[in-house]
Amino acid sequence: MINLTIDGKQVEVPEGTTVLRAAEKAGIKVPKLCDHPQLVPTGGCRLCIVDVQGFRVPMSSCTLPASNGMIVKTDSEALRKSRQTILSLLFSERNHFCPFCQLSGGDCELQNAAYDQGMTHWPMQPGWKTFPVDTSHDYFILDNNRCILCRRCVRACSELVGNYTLGIAERGSDCMLVADANVPLGDSSCVSCGVCLQVCPTGALIDRQSAYYGHEKQLTCTESTCVGCSVGCGINVLTSDNRLVRIEGNWNAPVNGGLLCKIGKFDPVAETRSRITTPLVRKNGKLEPASWEEALEKVAQSIKPLVGKKGNGVAALASTRLPAESLALFKQLFADQIQSDMVTSLEEGQPSALPAALADELGLPFEGSLDILRTADCTLAIGVNLVENHQVAGFFLKRNVPLGSKLIVVDPQENGLDELAAYILKANAGSDLDVIEGLQAAIVNAKMERVPAAPINSAKVLAEVNKKTGLAEADVTGAAQALASAAKPVIVYGKGITANGNADTLKALVTLAKITGASLISIKGEANSLAAAQYHLDRVFELNGHQAVYVALGDDTPSQRLIDRLAKAPFLAVQTVYHSPLTEMAQVVLPVTRWIEQDGHYLSLDGRLQMAHKAMQAPANVWVDEQVFTRLAGELGLALNGNDGSDRWKELLFQRVAPVKITEN
Amino acid sequence: MAKPKVSSDWLAGCAGCHMSLLDMDERIIKVAELVDLRATPITDLKEPDASGVDVGVLEGGINNTTNEEVVKTMRKRCKVLVALGDCAVFGGVPALRNFFTIEESLRRAYVETESTDSEGKIPDDPELCHPTRVRALSEVVPVDVFVPGCPPDADVIFYVLAELAQGRVPVLKDDLLHWH
Repeated sequence: MINLTIDGKQVEVPEGTTVLRAAEKAGIKVPKLCDHPQLVPTGGCRLCIVDVQGFRVPMSSCTLPASNGMIVKTDSEALRKSRQTILSLLFSERNHFCPFCQLSGGDCELQNAAYDQGMTHWPMQPGWKTFPVDTSHDYFILDNNRCILCRRCVRACSELVGNYTLGIAERGSDCMLVADANVPLGDSSCVSCGVCLQVCPTGALIDRQSAYYGHEKQLTCTESTCVGCSVGCGINVLTSDNRLVRIEGNWNAPVNGGLLCKIGKFDPVAETRSRITTPLVRKNGKLEPASWEEALEKVAQSIKPLVGKKGNGVAALASTRLPAESLALFKQLFADQIQSDMVTSLEEGQPSALPAALADELGLPFEGSLDILRTADCTLAIGVNLVENHQVAGFFLKRNVPLGSKLIVVDPQENGLDELAAYILKANAGSDLDVIEGLQAAIVNAKMERVPAAPINSAKVLAEVNKKTGLAEADVTGAAQALASAAKPVIVYGKGITANGNADTLKALVTLAKITGASLISIKGEANSLAAAQYHLDRVFELNGHQAVYVALGDDTPSQRLIDRLAKAPFLAVQTVYHSPLTEMAQVVLPVTRWIEQDGHYLSLDGRLQMAHKAMQAPANVWVDEQVFTRLAGELGLALNGNDGSDRWKELLFQRVAPVKITEN
Repeated sequence: MAKPKVSSDWLAGCAGCHMSLLDMDERIIKVAELVDLRATPITDLKEPDASGVDVGVLEGGINNTTNEEVVKTMRKRCKVLVALGDCAVFGGVPALRNFFTIEESLRRAYVETESTDSEGKIPDDPELCHPTRVRALSEVVPVDVFVPGCPPDADVIFYVLAELAQGRVPVLKDDLLHWH
């Protein structure tokens, strides 16, 4: 530990801590602009300068490591003067006329810094140079005239996201923020994760959706969990008068550490689907508004004669975007009470059934936490595209590649991670098992296995690998050795492995993980894929002779495949938030709350049981899913339990061994 | 002691700062008690007394030769010069025209504006003043007190005037310091 004195206070910090962090630990506020807790310090703005006894000149505290016996002063008349000069230089460099900037009045760190220094004016006048404004991006605007070149966005784009879209072009006072090789942001490699917006201290990066909608202090902030996919990122939902203003990544969230992707950050605010605010019942071929009583009675009438029937009774599907509480009740109503033999989820177990079945067989979890991706030095990504979906997990991979982490991508299709991969194994479609066995063989052949492998004729397998997979033997060997020689190898797999229903492929992958000492992570699908699997809502849907179909769609979007398969259903009831082609086919439509209007639990891909909190009020005549299930059960003369605020849903989650250990935060 | 004489004027601004001054409600009476309000845009006198005033308050930036004259006169005739509002302190919104040439600005204002017919004409009467680059007061004359804000709150203006009337130099900080 290091002991130093800051402004007369004794501070003890671990070795390697900067003076700035030490001061913050002691509760001393040091002015700063380019510093951000999540980013590597660069000492760019010089606002955090401090006097250190024995040093000739003031030092930037963000880059100065604390050392034993240091005596630091963070405030003095001279420091104040220097800071005012620094700020004056920043203000005079570009267009920092505050009144028409949406951040002015509380949210601008530059303005706040000037207030802190008691600045009533700039001693230097601006240079009146104009810089480009880039409005080509769908979600934000870049105004270089307000940029102070702190490079927080550049660092976040590279250090946190690994995307390297943002950079600085030109020299000296011509310096400006550009995308890629100075192309419009809208045409650039930007993935719209929005982290740059979240770190920008000034109004240089402007969120199109929320600019001028009020200052942070005027908005209501609700900590919640994103339900965009199974990663389960922590978010802050910012609302004003029941209007969603914007969503920000929660810097303190253990899963994502502040990062989000477009799906989590921008899509919910850009929602354009048309909301259903009253129950609808089909009369004379047309959907007409109806009372809840009438609608539920209509559903009950159609379902009641079918209770207990197998194969020709009621089929029920639920979205895996529903909270665990709703899924549990859905399962209880349709599988236990109505005794249907076709109760499943819209994902039909594609991302989760296979791992769940293997966990049943093994009797214990075999997957690891997503956190391992952050420190992996070699990752095999097989049957998974982390650039299109589950992007935050992809960011963890991408950002480590330039730091020396090796990436192996196995995917017959083009994969967004290909360009970063050390080994791109474009195997023949359907040859995943052969690829995995080839990798195993290569490791055994090189005697690199960490635990004894089952005896195989490795030379023979390797000799055939090219014929079976279309891959060059050297590539397979190279990739295998990279994985086997890594200190912290990880294998990430997705629907490419789980959706083909071949348990042998997954078992081979588990073996590969064992002999390489790799951690396994399956990426699952939607927010509650894993919970649905835990409730056995993971079978393949077939309409067969079912006379009625009940779809608890929530705020999900129905796939064309589902719509096609349900076209022949004699009776269709849809419990949903928005109008969709599916509601157009339904006899009864029951309007429910969307994720942001209800409390509910979600089980992330690595088993974290997290809560999404209610941040908005639902329209008056819209019910939560549980209420609909309970009232429908009542209409059918059935009783549901566990909808009284008890933890029955949670007990059920733990009843089945999960592929990954379930933890409660 | 005689009440300190205060005079004010507005330049390249929107008059909003003077409106904010009036926004102090009944405290305006207190101000009238504390000071002798001389020439201002809201009183009848048009120029600060040739014999001098104690406090001169100017709203707006300097964007033409007339403004320059007004500022220099005020500076000559007052002991303490107050720059009131963002335009006087920084240049403010009018200063955004500095990102263009004066010709471009004039053409935009008198010829290209959507509301101008095809006969648009840039005024060129020799008696008119000449537009210049927009400047904060401090670029042209020394300023003693800077009161930023767009506009400064009535509370801020009252505080500033009350302090000056009582012979103190106002210090703007914390809740009183706003640029917006």
